[in-house]
Amino acid sequence: MRNTISIFILLFSIVFANAQETAMNASEMASFKEKVISEAKKTKTIKTDFVQFKHLDFLADDVKTSGKMAFKSPNLVKWEYTNPYQYSVIFKEDQLLINDGGTKSKVDIGNSKLFKKLNQLIVNSVKGNMFNDADFKVTFYKSSKYNKAVFVPKDSKIATYIASFELLFNKDDAQVYEVKMVEPSKDFTRIVFSNRVLNSNIDDAVFSN
Amino acid sequence: MMRFLAISLLASLFLVSCSLKTTEGLRQVSTEITEIENPYFSNPEIDYVYKAKIEIYGKNLGGIVIIKKIGKKNHRVVFTTEFGSKLFDFEFEGDTFTKNYMLPDLDKKFITNILRDDFKLLINENMMVSEAFNSENYSVFKTEMGNRFVFYFFGNAENQLQKIIKTSKTKEKVEIDFTSTEENIAETIAIKHNNIKLKIDLEKFKKE
Repeated sequence: MRNTISIFILLFSIVFANAQETAMNASEMASFKEKVISEAKKTKTIKTDFVQFKHLDFLADDVKTSGKMAFKSPNLVKWEYTNPYQYSVIFKEDQLLINDGGTKSKVDIGNSKLFKKLNQLIVNSVKGNMFNDADFKVTFYKSSKYNKAVFVPKDSKIATYIASFELLFNKDDAQVYEVKMVEPSKDFTRIVFSNRVLNSNIDDAVFSN
Repeated sequence: MMRFLAISLLASLFLVSCSLKTTEGLRQVSTEITEIENPYFSNPEIDYVYKAKIEIYGKNLGGIVIIKKIGKKNHRVVFTTEFGSKLFDFEFEGDTFTKNYMLPDLDKKFITNILRDDFKLLINENMMVSEAFNSENYSVFKTEMGNRFVFYFFGNAENQLQKIIKTSKTKEKVEIDFTSTEENIAETIAIKHNNIKLKIDLEKFKKE
């Protein structure tokens, strides 16, 4: 009897898990993309909190850090970690401006094609608008809670850094609420956004070190 | 007379440059302790997570260092950026070293060797004692690692490991300083090199 119940639960959970997430069909894909792109066009600034979880298979707990992110169109981004340490990176033109607990430094990414690509990825993933990126093969999924886009790099150089890249979107406003980067080793980083404020005024001074 | 002075001067200079600074002011003592333990990464239940700041030839680099004891003699050491992407992933099993991953841009033999040696020195748990020294503040144990010597400084007051110094016969090569408020947990770790301009500072993640 007990076995039957466990088998039933097991079967049910498999069915349920499958039911949770399915691939989008062509028309769902088209309308989803259109919504994300039109929302991204309207988005001039974003302010949001985030929590980052670094998952390494051999650890008991994910490594958790958190902070704030600010984005200003077309391509200013600031990631600021406030817990458990102070660390910020500003993506500005061809430079990374870093403030590591008071130690400031600058990294020129002007010559690095790969870094430019990664930077572009970050900006586009914040906005959600990266479906036309020729460097990735994109597949789309839906569930009752979210829409999901999974990006797999075509470029072998990028593939040595990232196995895949997942964006989870709210159903209603088509905003990205979670980013997941999976490494070739299967370890991953998950960033969950909260308290998002759209199109408030953000001073340019926020993006200087 | 002049000649004698010149010779003694030269001799004393030679002796000074030859003698190891590490044991200066310490007196050698006999000891019954045959083995010492570095307790800071010895608990397999704990994920040891540190914010890292590296200063190399005037350049700064940040990241997160994660250390875990994953077997009786095994340690995993992973270094990621603040964003979580892995820069390297090392595994130590006794004297066996495995490089699970290293960012292609960093993957140079001389960088790998320095990092391997530094983290090996940091996590090495048990060492056989060859000589012992004493001072007002420290009990010091000399051990051997390959063709190098490693000195472990334990504070007399709290009997905590405070310093590790790796030396050749005549020169100090690497020094690791620990501060600790909780038993067997290193709050801050500073790894300094004497022959290259490399400094690694680690600060333990605060509890939530």
